[in-house]
Amino acid sequence: MTAAMGNRNVKIAIFLVGLFIVAILPLFFNESSGFIDDCTLALAYIVMALGLNIIVGFAGLLDLGYVAFFAIGAYTMGWFASGFYAEADIHVFVGEFASSIPGIHVNFLIVLIIAAAFTTLAGIVIGLPTLRLRGDYIAIVTLAFGEIIHRIAINGDEVQIAEGFPLTNGRQGITPVDKIDLPFIEPFTSLNLRPWYWVALALALFVLFVNFRLRDSRLGRAWIALREDEVAAISMGIPAVKTKLLAYGTGAAFGGMSGAFLASYLNTVNADQFAFSFSIFVLAMVILGGLGSIWGVVLGAVALTFINYRLIPDVLNDVPNKVGLDFDLSELSFGIFGFLLVIMMVLRPEGLIPERRRQMELEQGIGTGDTELDLVEP
Amino acid sequence: MEAASLPAAKPKALRVVQDWLSKYGLIVVLLAMPVYYGIQDLSDEGDLSRLGGNIVDGLSNGSIWALVAIGYTLVYGIIELINFAHGDVFMIGSFTAAGFFGTIGLTAGMGIPGLALGLFLTLLVCMLTTGALNVMIERVAYRPLRGAPVLAPLITAVGFSFILQNVGLLWRGGSQEGIGDLINSQNTLFTITGVEITNGDLLAMGTTIPLVILMVMFITRSRLGKAMRATAQDPEAARLMGINVDTTISLTFLLGGMLAGAAGLIYALYQTTIWYAQGFTAGLIAFTAAVMGGIGNIKGAVLGGLIIGIIQQIADNRIGTEWTPAIVFAYLVLIMVFKPSGLLGEQTREAG
Amino acid sequence: MTDASPDLILDARDVSKVFGGLTAVGGVNFGIPRGGIVSLIGPNGAGKTTFFNMLTGLYKPTTGRIVFDEKAITGGRPDKIMALGIARTFQNIRLFGTMSARENVMVGEHARMRAGLFGSILRTPRVRREERHVSDKAAEELAYVGLPPNTFDQLAINLSYGDQRRVEIARALASDPKLLLLDEPTAGMNPQESDELTALMHRLRDERGLTILLIEHDMKVVMGVSEYITVLDHGEKIAEGLPEQVRNDDRVIEAYLGKGAVHE
Ligand SMILES: Nc1ncnc2c1ncn2[C@@H]1O[C@H](COP(=O)(O)OP(=O)(O)OP(=O)(O)O)[C@@H](O)[C@H]1O
Ligand SMILES: [Mg+2]
Repeated sequence: MTAAMGNRNVKIAIFLVGLFIVAILPLFFNESSGFIDDCTLALAYIVMALGLNIIVGFAGLLDLGYVAFFAIGAYTMGWFASGFYAEADIHVFVGEFASSIPGIHVNFLIVLIIAAAFTTLAGIVIGLPTLRLRGDYIAIVTLAFGEIIHRIAINGDEVQIAEGFPLTNGRQGITPVDKIDLPFIEPFTSLNLRPWYWVALALALFVLFVNFRLRDSRLGRAWIALREDEVAAISMGIPAVKTKLLAYGTGAAFGGMSGAFLASYLNTVNADQFAFSFSIFVLAMVILGGLGSIWGVVLGAVALTFINYRLIPDVLNDVPNKVGLDFDLSELSFGIFGFLLVIMMVLRPEGLIPERRRQMELEQGIGTGDTELDLVEP
Repeated sequence: MEAASLPAAKPKALRVVQDWLSKYGLIVVLLAMPVYYGIQDLSDEGDLSRLGGNIVDGLSNGSIWALVAIGYTLVYGIIELINFAHGDVFMIGSFTAAGFFGTIGLTAGMGIPGLALGLFLTLLVCMLTTGALNVMIERVAYRPLRGAPVLAPLITAVGFSFILQNVGLLWRGGSQEGIGDLINSQNTLFTITGVEITNGDLLAMGTTIPLVILMVMFITRSRLGKAMRATAQDPEAARLMGINVDTTISLTFLLGGMLAGAAGLIYALYQTTIWYAQGFTAGLIAFTAAVMGGIGNIKGAVLGGLIIGIIQQIADNRIGTEWTPAIVFAYLVLIMVFKPSGLLGEQTREAG
Repeated sequence: MTDASPDLILDARDVSKVFGGLTAVGGVNFGIPRGGIVSLIGPNGAGKTTFFNMLTGLYKPTTGRIVFDEKAITGGRPDKIMALGIARTFQNIRLFGTMSARENVMVGEHARMRAGLFGSILRTPRVRREERHVSDKAAEELAYVGLPPNTFDQLAINLSYGDQRRVEIARALASDPKLLLLDEPTAGMNPQESDELTALMHRLRDERGLTILLIEHDMKVVMGVSEYITVLDHGEKIAEGLPEQVRNDDRVIEAYLGKGAVHE
C-alpha cells in the first residue's frame, strides 16, 4: 500500500517538474520564434488527438472524419469572432479594438464554449447513423460526414443563411479572425506567441485531465466493455447507444475547442484546411502514439507535428544544400512523411507507448473477433 | 400491467412509418434522384434522353470505380484492411499507360488494328505494373504487421499512399495533364432512343465486363480462387487445410492491383486528363462503392461502383460538380442507415 | 403452470424465433415461479440459448409475449431488461479479457451506478464514494461465489476455467437481479466444481431469494437442483414437469438418444 502510494507521489512529482519545464519553455526563446509556433501547434494537436483518442482509443469507434469537428469549431470562431458578418454589429465582452470594428465579436472564452456545444451536437448527429454499424463501416460513414462538411465549407460561400450572411467564405477563407482577448490581460498579437502557447497549454492540460478522469471511471469501464465485447456489455446493463454517443460527443467537443483556438491563432478559417488528410493526420498521431494510451497519444501528436512542420520543411530540406547538391527536397515532403509513417509503424506496431490493455488485447487476441452482435436481424 | 411496459410503447403511426422505411427506404433512396429528374425531363423535354445520357455516362464512369472497388473488396475480404494506397495504385496505372503510349508511339491517327493492338499491349503492361506494385506494397507494408493491432496497417497504407502520390508528382509534375485522346472518346458510335453511346462508353464497358467476368470465374472456379475464398473465411482453418496463406494473400493483391491498372488505363483514355492526386478521390469513391455494395462481396463492389457512377453523373449534370462529392457521400450515409451491411452484404451473427 | 398466476416471475407465451427459414424456437409457453430453480434442457441446437437471448433482449421474438415481474419486456433493449432484474451468464464465457476479475464485476454494477459524464470528470465526493462502494461490493460478490481473494485483481482471462465461470456469475449477481439465467454453467468444470456450483445455486435461492433458470447438459446437476424441468427439442417444448416425470418421459429419452432408444 505504501509502496503504491510512494510510487504515485513519484509520478506526481515527475509530472509537476515536467509541467514546470513545459510552462517556462517559451521564456527561453524569442517571443515570435518558429519554435514556439511549432510548440503551440503541437499543443493544439494534442487537444485534438486526445479528443479522437476518446472515440477511437477508449470506445473503439474508428472515426475517419474527425476533421469535421475541427471545421465546425473553427467556423464557430469565424462566425462569432470576426468581421465576416460585417452587416451585424454585435459585441460581447470584447476589448477595445474588436469593439470598434463591425461584425460579430464575442469573447474567446464564450466562443470556446459555443464551439464545444456545436461540436458535441455534431458528434452526436454523426454518431447516430453509425450505431448499428460494425467496425469499418463506422469508418466510412464518419469519413463521409467529414467529406460532406469539407464540401459544405468549400461551397458554403454560395449558401446564404440570411441576406448578406453566407455560411462560409469558401477557399478564400474568413480572415482576419479576432485574436484572443481575455479580461485583465493584454490582447494577444501575432508578434508575441508566448500567450498563445500558454493558452494552448492550458487547453491541453484540461483535456489531459479529462482523459485521465474518464479512463478510470464508470464510463471508461463501459467503453472498454463495449469495445471488447458488445454483446456481453449490453447484457450487463450498459446502454450501447448512450455510451457510444457520449464518446462521440466528448471527443468531438475537444476537436471543436482546438478548432476554435486554431482559427484565432492561424487568423483564418479556410475550407482547404478541412480536407480528409487532416483526419488521417490526427488519427496517425493516435495510432502512432499507442491507441488508448494517453501519454502515447501526447507523444504521437508532438512527434508528428514536429516531423511535419519542422523536420521535413526546415531540417531535411537543407540537407542537399549542405552537401552541395542542387536539389529541392520540398518536392518530396509528403513522400518522406509517408515513408516515416511506414517505418515507425513497422518498427513499433503497437505504438510508441502502448496502452496496457491494448497490448494485452494484442497478445491474447481479445476483442479482435466478431464480438459484435448484429441486432438488426434477418 | 401494460402501463410500465417496455419498450415504451411507440405510437402505432410511428411504428407503421418505421416498418415501411425499413422495408422500402433503401429503394426510395436509390431511386429518388433518377425518378425526380426523369419526371422533370418528361415534363420539360417530353422524353428521357437526357436522363438516359446521364445513366450511360454514369455506367461508364462507374465501371472504372467498379474495377478499383473490387481491389478494395478483395483485400478487405481477405485481411480486413482498408487498403488506402489502392487509389494511388490506380493512379500509377494511369501514369504507366500515359508513359507507355509515348514509348511505343501510339497516336490517334493510327489505323484501328494498330491502335487496338497497342492498347491491348498497354493494358497488359499497366496490369502487370500495378499488380506487381500492389504485391510489393503488401510485402513491405502489411505483411510485417500481421498480428499487429488492427489499425496499424491502416497507417502504413496511408504512408504508402503518400509515397505513391509523391512518386506521381515527381514523375509527371504537379498539375493536371492532358494526354492525347487516342480513341476519340467523345465520338458518337450509335444512338439508341436518343441516348448517345460514345467510343469511350464502349471502351469502358467493353473492358470492364470481360475483366469482371474473368475475375468472378477465376475466384469461383480455379483452385487458387477457392483458396482465396477459404482464406477469407477463416485463415487459420485454411492454413490447416494446407493452403499457403501468404501466397494466397499475395495473389489477392496481385489481382486487385491488376484491376486497378486496367481501370487506370480506361480512366486515362476516357477522361484524357491525369494527375498525381486523382488516386485520392478515386480511392475514396471506390472504397465507398465497395462498402455500399457490402464489403468483401465482388458483385456488391461492381453494383456499388455503377450506382455511384450514375449518382455522380446526375449530380454533375444537374446540380453542379462542386456538390457531387457531398451528394455521393450523403447517399452512402443513407444506404448505411437503411442497410447497415451494405447492399449485398451478409447479416447474421451469433449471440449468447 | 401456464396460467398467469401472480407468483410467476416470468411468463413467456407462444414465443418463437425464426432465422431465415429455420425455426429455432417455435411457439413455446414457459413460466417460472418466483423463488424457484427451474431448468431448460434439450439436445444441441434445441433452441435453449436462443430462448435465453429472447428473454434478455438480444433477439427480438418473431412472435409471442414475455412478461417479467408484471412488466412486458418483449423485444426490449438488453440493458433495460437487465436493469429490471434479469441477469445472465453465457454459454461460451464472455468476460472482458483485459479487465481484472474485480473490474469485470464492477461492469455488472453499471446499471446500479449513477456517476455521469461530468461527475466522473470532476470526481465529486459522491462519485468517489460510489466507486469505492462498487469496488467493495464487487469483492463481496467474488467472495460469495467462492473466488480466492488473492485472485480478485488478476486478469479475468488468466483464471482457471471454473473460476472464470464464477466471475461471470458474480458479474451477473452484481446487478442485484431477481432472476438469474445460467447458460451451461458447469460446462468444462470438474465434478467437484459442479457440486460446488450446485450448492451455490441453492444458497443463492435460499439466502438471496433469487429465482434461477438453468440451461444444463449435466443431468446430475439438473436433477440435483431443479424443481421443475422443461425440455426443448427442435425449438418445441416436448415435455415438462418434475425431475422424476421428465426423467422417465419417452419423448425426452428419444430426443436425447435417438429413435428406438427408449429402452436405453
Ligand atoms: N443468430 C442466428 N442466426 C441463425 N441461426 C441461429 C442463430 N442463433 C441460433 N441459430 C440456430 O438456432 C438453432 C438453435 O440454436 P441454440 O443456440 O439456441 O441451441 P442450443 O439449444 O442452445 O444448443 P446448445 O446445447 O448446442 O447450446 C440452431 O440450429 C442454431 O444454428
Ligand atoms: Mg446453447
